[in-house]
Amino acid sequence: MKTTEFTLDLQAYVDGELDAKHRAEVERVLANDADARSLVQGLRQLSDLVRTHEPIAQVPESREFYWSQIQKRIAAVEAREARSNREASSAVQWLRWLAPALGVAAVAVMVALPRWDASVAEFAAGGVSEDTVSMTFRSDADGVTIHWIN
Amino acid sequence: MSLKSDYPSAADEQLVAWAKDGDTEAFEELIHRHRDKIYARAMIMMRNEVDAVDLSQEAWVKSWQRLHQFQGESSFATWMTRIVINLCLDQIRRQKRTRAESIEEMQEESGGVERQMPVVENNPTEGLESEEVRRRIDEAMGKLTDAHRAVLVLHEFEGLEYKEIAKRVGISIGTVMSRLFYARRRLASLLQSLKRERSE
Repeated sequence: MKTTEFTLDLQAYVDGELDAKHRAEVERVLANDADARSLVQGLRQLSDLVRTHEPIAQVPESREFYWSQIQKRIAAVEAREARSNREASSAVQWLRWLAPALGVAAVAVMVALPRWDASVAEFAAGGVSEDTVSMTFRSDADGVTIHWIN
Repeated sequence: MSLKSDYPSAADEQLVAWAKDGDTEAFEELIHRHRDKIYARAMIMMRNEVDAVDLSQEAWVKSWQRLHQFQGESSFATWMTRIVINLCLDQIRRQKRTRAESIEEMQEESGGVERQMPVVENNPTEGLESEEVRRRIDEAMGKLTDAHRAVLVLHEFEGLEYKEIAKRVGISIGTVMSRLFYARRRLASLLQSLKRERSE
């Protein structure tokens, strides 16, 4: 009785997929097993039959029409690629301009943040220094009021 | 510099070299030479004309884009068939075909092959003209599932080893072996029944 594994080994033998050791084992069995020999012969016969009678088909379109369709597809793909390259290049250009500005902005934020934090902390603590001096100047003629805090 | 009159007599390698330099007429000559083979490969995989035309054209577009990658390790025709086969495999994966196919695969993978009939007992195409044999094989292959047909095509026509088929299809070597056996068994059975029909 053939096992699944052995049946597939026979197929692998026919397909030239076994190493020397396994090939020798299969050949030992084949010498005494008529069913296995028959299966091997059948597999070889079928494989030869299929390989030598590969189905053929012809493109159901004229040479010119088939080529024109391919040309259109190539043109569409190339146009898409060109557009995407342009977009990528435009993004790079923007980045070139934006990068220094973003850098300056980042430095400014880093410098300002500790001071702002300190001011906020001071304000949150309700603290205004006792040494703080303030002056107010008002000009009715100009309609302006100036507060000076030091 | 190439002359248009050279194209029909130029070797594939020469046409490829010209096409790599952007010569679309050389590329068109390559298409003209190999289009039927590429289409036939797509047709045998997909089993319908619309998909076969679409995928074969797509294969030519891809080859134009990747021509610089072709270094001549294999023939141009072999390189092209690999491209179209890959496109067909992708399409088959996308389509996720019928429920009947998955039932058949489940039976195959859980049933074991030892209970199945011997592959070929007698030559089922004995006495037939070559074209008739070809037609019957094509017809029988059309009755296989996509999964079985793909493995059979990759092995018998593309000449790929189990390991390579497993990689291309994304399955284990064991599954390649069982699918291949099942495909052959079914093909043999279909050819036998064609023989019986003929003798009746």
